[in-house]
Amino acid sequence: MQQKPILLTILDVLSIIGLGAATYFALVFAPTEAVMGNVQRVFYFHVGTAWVGLIGFVLAALAGIVYLITKDAKWDRFEVAAVEVSAMFFFITIVLGSIWARPAWNTWWTWDPRLTTAAVTELVYIAYFMLRAGIEDPEKRARFGAVYALLGGLSAPITFMVIRLFRTIHPVVVGNGNPEAQGGFDMTGSMLTAMFVALGAFTVFFINLMWHRIRLGALEEKVEQIKLKVSM
Amino acid sequence: MTQPSPSFFKAVLAIARKDLAAEFRSRELLSAMLVFSMLVILIFNFALELNVDIRRTVTAGVLWTTFAFAGTLGLNRSMAVEKDRGCMDGLLLAPVDRSVIFFGKAISNLVFMLVVEAIVIPLYAMLYNETRIFQLEFIGVLLLGSIGYIAVGTLLSAMSVQTRTRDVLLPILLFPVAVPVLLASVKASGAIVAGLPFKDYVTPLNLLIVYDVIFIAVSYMIFDFVVEE
Amino acid sequence: METINTDNYMIAGFIVSFVTIGIYLLSMYVRARNLKRDLETYEALDSPDKK
Repeated sequence: MQQKPILLTILDVLSIIGLGAATYFALVFAPTEAVMGNVQRVFYFHVGTAWVGLIGFVLAALAGIVYLITKDAKWDRFEVAAVEVSAMFFFITIVLGSIWARPAWNTWWTWDPRLTTAAVTELVYIAYFMLRAGIEDPEKRARFGAVYALLGGLSAPITFMVIRLFRTIHPVVVGNGNPEAQGGFDMTGSMLTAMFVALGAFTVFFINLMWHRIRLGALEEKVEQIKLKVSM
Repeated sequence: MTQPSPSFFKAVLAIARKDLAAEFRSRELLSAMLVFSMLVILIFNFALELNVDIRRTVTAGVLWTTFAFAGTLGLNRSMAVEKDRGCMDGLLLAPVDRSVIFFGKAISNLVFMLVVEAIVIPLYAMLYNETRIFQLEFIGVLLLGSIGYIAVGTLLSAMSVQTRTRDVLLPILLFPVAVPVLLASVKASGAIVAGLPFKDYVTPLNLLIVYDVIFIAVSYMIFDFVVEE
Repeated sequence: METINTDNYMIAGFIVSFVTIGIYLLSMYVRARNLKRDLETYEALDSPDKK
């Protein structure tokens, strides 16, 4: 394994500081929301993780396309990293949303477009890893993974649009409000600050994790190659 | 990619005809799909207690769930047969564009699915006295939904048969990606059965068409990568 | 308007977030460690063959 780049170490430190700051801004700096009380504070992490989860999902689909064109294994590693890290973040998003929904909507779960799309996306991720686990040849595994990441990326927006046809109660905090939404709130200046801190912190953390995962992928490949060489 | 030529279509039809001829001789795939569909409907009948009131709202859902399950059965089998008998290698050696294989398989799969639908729907109508499903619009949605489902399903079944866990993998791969087709179809056909006007189901219909176009195009473009050796 | 007391939900939310991240980091660390160990083993197996 090659030496750990200095930039990566800097990124590690930045991630810790960023997450610390995001936690501070969410727990202390932001005011308590008037109706919902303290549970609204998970909103900052909810948005932060949803944002990077979405980025990771788009990156995975794009990496899939690039891999199919170039057949360069580094894009496969990039794609796996994007899927895995984004699956982890989406999981947090869903759980936080559910925890917030319990006091706000009086239910842990509702089949709303965002919730459903997030859940379907998580299933696509699981299917992605099951597909890869069933293939021995690394080249074929990469190829099929790329195809599936691409299909998943294409179907997710359509899933969202389809489920939007069924009615929703998910609040739209930024942008136009949904008249039927429940549990929305007006964001004051310091709430916005806290949200942007969380977005920034999770973006840095996401890049950091991606990098580590790509390095792990490179190590996996190296071990696989030497294993092949030894067994021959 | 080569420009589609008359020989392209001839080759596609040749593959589809080969599958259909083999199937109409053995009838093993179609009979499995049909029996399975009837069993699913039987289970739904008791699980949901399909009385008149409930049927009004769930007919579309019951039918689509049945077709989706029967569809995976057919898709799995039709691709596994190619793989096991070594037909796939033969097809790959043929001097034709790879996408010919995709369209050929997709057409035969679509025919199987439509045959099942053509038998199950009248049976359902007879069992439940549900004549509202005999509408041109309903059939249209059924066709659009089946096309989208089969396009993705053919592509994914070509992948899943090449994996270690092949039989269990196809539905797991297919369902999350096919969610838009199934939901849009249920929404549109449900509205038709309920007798709602066209404007109430034009949006799911449009999404269905968008999905079909996108996924046929993408499957056509990437099928090469799936069968490559 | 009355503010609802939802402190427990908040605490649960933050615990879940950090525990999930922690588990993921741990899994990455464990995988990296195992791979490094494998690599060393295979390298040791490989080198005598070459000579």
